[in-house]
Amino acid sequence: MDITRPIHIDYAQAVPATYYIDPDACLFLKHETCQICVPVCQSKAIDFSQKAEEKIYNVGAVIVSPGFGKISEEVLKQYGYGQHPDVVTSIEFERMTNASGPFQGELKCFNDGRHPKNLAFIQCVGSRDIGCDNGYCSGVCCMYAIKEAIVAKEHDPECEITIFYMDIRTQGKDFDQAKIKAENMGIKFVRAKVADVMNWGKQIKLTYSTMDGTHSFEPFDMVVLAVGLESPKDAKTIADIAGFELNQYDFCRTEEFDPLQTSKEGVFVVGAFQGPKDIPESVTQSSAAASLVSSLMKSKRGEGVILKEYPTEIPVGDDDEVRIGVFVCHCGINISSVVDVASVAKEAGKLGNVVYATESLYSCSQDAQEVLKERIKEHRLNRIVMTACSPRTHEPLFQETLKDAGLNRSLFEMVNIRDHCSWVHAQEPEAATAKSIDLVRMGVAKSRHNKPLLEQTVPVTKTALVLGGGLAGMTTALSIADQGYPVHLIERGATLGGNLANIKTTLRGESPAKLLKTLTAQIKKQKLVSVYLNSELETVSGFVGNFTSVIASGKTKKKKEVTIDHGVIVLATGGKEHRTKKFKLGTVKKVITQLELEAKLAGTGKNRAPDSVVMIQCAGSRGADLGYCSKVCCNQAVKNALKIKEINPESQVIVLYRDIRTYGFAEDQYKEAREKGVIFVPYKFAKKPKVLSGKTDVVEYFDPILQEQVTINPKLIVLSVGIVPEGTETLSKLLKAPVTADEFFLEAHVKLRPVELAVEGVYVCGLAHGPKPIDETIVQAQAAAAKASMPLVKGSAKVAPTVSVIDKETCIGCGICVSMCPYNAIKMLKIDKKRKAETVPASCKGCGICASRCPTFAIDMGGFTQDQVMAQIKAFGNIEEVV
Amino acid sequence: MSEANPKILGFLCNWCCYAAADAAGVSRYQYPPNIRTIRVMCTGRIDPAFILRGFSEGAAGIFAGG
Amino acid sequence: MGKAQNACAGSKSSEENRAGSVMVVGGGVAGIQTAMDLTDLGFYVYLVEKGPAIGGAMAQLDKTFPTNDCSL
Repeated sequence: MDITRPIHIDYAQAVPATYYIDPDACLFLKHETCQICVPVCQSKAIDFSQKAEEKIYNVGAVIVSPGFGKISEEVLKQYGYGQHPDVVTSIEFERMTNASGPFQGELKCFNDGRHPKNLAFIQCVGSRDIGCDNGYCSGVCCMYAIKEAIVAKEHDPECEITIFYMDIRTQGKDFDQAKIKAENMGIKFVRAKVADVMNWGKQIKLTYSTMDGTHSFEPFDMVVLAVGLESPKDAKTIADIAGFELNQYDFCRTEEFDPLQTSKEGVFVVGAFQGPKDIPESVTQSSAAASLVSSLMKSKRGEGVILKEYPTEIPVGDDDEVRIGVFVCHCGINISSVVDVASVAKEAGKLGNVVYATESLYSCSQDAQEVLKERIKEHRLNRIVMTACSPRTHEPLFQETLKDAGLNRSLFEMVNIRDHCSWVHAQEPEAATAKSIDLVRMGVAKSRHNKPLLEQTVPVTKTALVLGGGLAGMTTALSIADQGYPVHLIERGATLGGNLANIKTTLRGESPAKLLKTLTAQIKKQKLVSVYLNSELETVSGFVGNFTSVIASGKTKKKKEVTIDHGVIVLATGGKEHRTKKFKLGTVKKVITQLELEAKLAGTGKNRAPDSVVMIQCAGSRGADLGYCSKVCCNQAVKNALKIKEINPESQVIVLYRDIRTYGFAEDQYKEAREKGVIFVPYKFAKKPKVLSGKTDVVEYFDPILQEQVTINPKLIVLSVGIVPEGTETLSKLLKAPVTADEFFLEAHVKLRPVELAVEGVYVCGLAHGPKPIDETIVQAQAAAAKASMPLVKGSAKVAPTVSVIDKETCIGCGICVSMCPYNAIKMLKIDKKRKAETVPASCKGCGICASRCPTFAIDMGGFTQDQVMAQIKAFGNIEEVV
Repeated sequence: MSEANPKILGFLCNWCCYAAADAAGVSRYQYPPNIRTIRVMCTGRIDPAFILRGFSEGAAGIFAGG
Repeated sequence: MGKAQNACAGSKSSEENRAGSVMVVGGGVAGIQTAMDLTDLGFYVYLVEKGPAIGGAMAQLDKTFPTNDCSL
């Protein structure tokens, strides 16, 4: 969208952040001319004689994650792309709303730079489109279009936004909330296929037809094409090289019950190449693949790893001379264009105990680390004050350098004169320089009191506890055991299997019963898994690596209790069918649930597929009883409808739905169901269908094509009731692990840490996390196994040294700290018959509430001691206390 | 310092207010340059003695952000 | 992708022959996460990326749902 120079960095935060030469744009590489860059590069880093090398590596497993490809321009052309500058793809639109985008984050038309007054999104561009051979649903476009629409609305609340769609497929966890938010912001959703996109002066005219048969025209200032995810361009090449098969859409072919295994042994697939998917699902698959490889190669674990070695730490005692080195960073021009760096370094050099003060262009660069190490040696520095950017981002990097130089990492202090000074006082260079000098003085004052702190490690009990013996729990338990660690598998019921036992077949025609049989046999064979049936978690205490749980087995009268020590916990407690009270379920005999229909269809009953069936979707989910989408019901309805048609082709099956959410490749079966004569009729939330009882029990619904109420008397009324979690409330209290408003466990980060909980050492998978189908459950269970195995592999857990330390001499045992601590990280001991408090370092988060409340000043905080903070305050008042 | 330019001492929680101050920098929000800050891991760390000492060192105001 | 080709062929005359190593082909969010998890599980990883920087498609996103965090 903008001009890119042949030599560039893709984006400001690219890793590695080095410039590269685009071979398609470089004059030398294309025409053997120019080469101006070679002499101008001061560090002589450009060498055109480098050639591509081929290297051979022997590896035990390969994981392919090539991502997805772009929808071709030919498809986009049908939507006016390339014919009007303001028809853009959603990826381009994403760049436009970004601060580093072509208009610095301002929303402007390419045509004449005006702000668009109205905006249209066209969904399913290159997805659900047989015309371009992409019959599948890309699964992510509805959600990102809503996100982009919301962002656009935040840029300009006056901008009118319309989203043209077939079905809104926001089936992900809590995604429906975003749709509701968008509607409340005034974003319009129109169910219509856009037939034509035409240039209309500066504007673009869209022609579309709605369900009721009316055709409409509307001009827009800008049109965003919500492009789907295509298979990667080099899919065939990769498949040929690695020797695995692709599916009909050139994505990687995998089995439903082994979703990441390609058809070639030892080669696994993750991410969008396995099938279109969003970020959390890609991240989940990544961890799952790591788990599979870890099981496959467990005998080789640790063999190839290079462990970093550090020099022996130089002892720094209380009596040693304090020798401070101050490094003032230019950060390119980020700091030096405002702050007078030279005078800051000069003033720093005048401070007591400072034996060395210097400037540096980029303190965080690789070569600057080497310089830092040399200076530490040369000047025998034992305190470092880095005057640069934020410790939140850069402290670990410099601390690593200190360790490399043999200094304890707690002897490091950072002063932020970029984020907190040069960037925010850009117009006041003198005041910014004065502030920098003050901040350095305060930092130096603190650093005089910096002491080496011990990095504590606690050993880990190399055993896992898995709660729940359904598909998720069984898969996790097996996966952890296959990686070589003992597992205690706790199941509340009398048998293993959970909901898997109720599912008769999958949409793709696989047999869950077979899967259950295999898993049960594997668990029996796997000696590392101990199964506890009829059992529940009674209590749990401890922290990551060192949990102790009490498991109660059997009925209340003959209850047996066992105590188990373990390092990690996986929650796979599952969910169950939601029994709605609506639509006369339970009172009218012919009203049943999809699960009941499934059991009936799998049986041999004579009238199991009657002549007329009405299915009502979202009978429990999406605002009926439950606030969320249950994700599996649409697939289940399509599956059962197809089964009815298979048994009784004459049967009339009507599916009343709000949005059919057969995302991914399941779209094929939705198409098949329509072709086989299943009738799909959409309804609006405000105009729900009703089950009415009179002489007979009938369904009444509004037909949007006929535009009138229709009454029908089917033989069977089938409800898609949705899924609710089981027992998460009790467990959440036991473990102090948060749940969502819908009582599913809340992951630590919805995008990047999808199977970890906020409590360290506790992981979640399966329906306890949110509704999901079998294949996604398997992947998530494998991912949880990978994450849970990590502390077990490490064998020890590191504890940050910034924790509270209690002086037993001064402690009077009052217990105020115990009652104030939000993390249960202080316990009371009896020493010589006197009560004394003691910190549990692994639980302490370093907040310091105990220290500021202790009446006898017996508690101090590592890295933030009374002395350190007081010295900073005194330095604020210009008092210098040299030590 | 003159009355028009009072010296302010700030205590910033590492997890929220310090992070917010970083974000203000990244977004280039401009604010007056008369605050000097001390990072703490939580505002719970702020001992009343810190505040009293701050005033006695000439702070016109103390800011606790958490 | 040339590198992957040789790796899968499992040539004996290998220049690098590190026990317990794994190759990840593609440096997008999925590839990066796999590589990081594998190292945490005790394996040596070769992360192969066609382009000049890792990050893939996620790096092109402005914000991500639901927190509208910066995706980088």
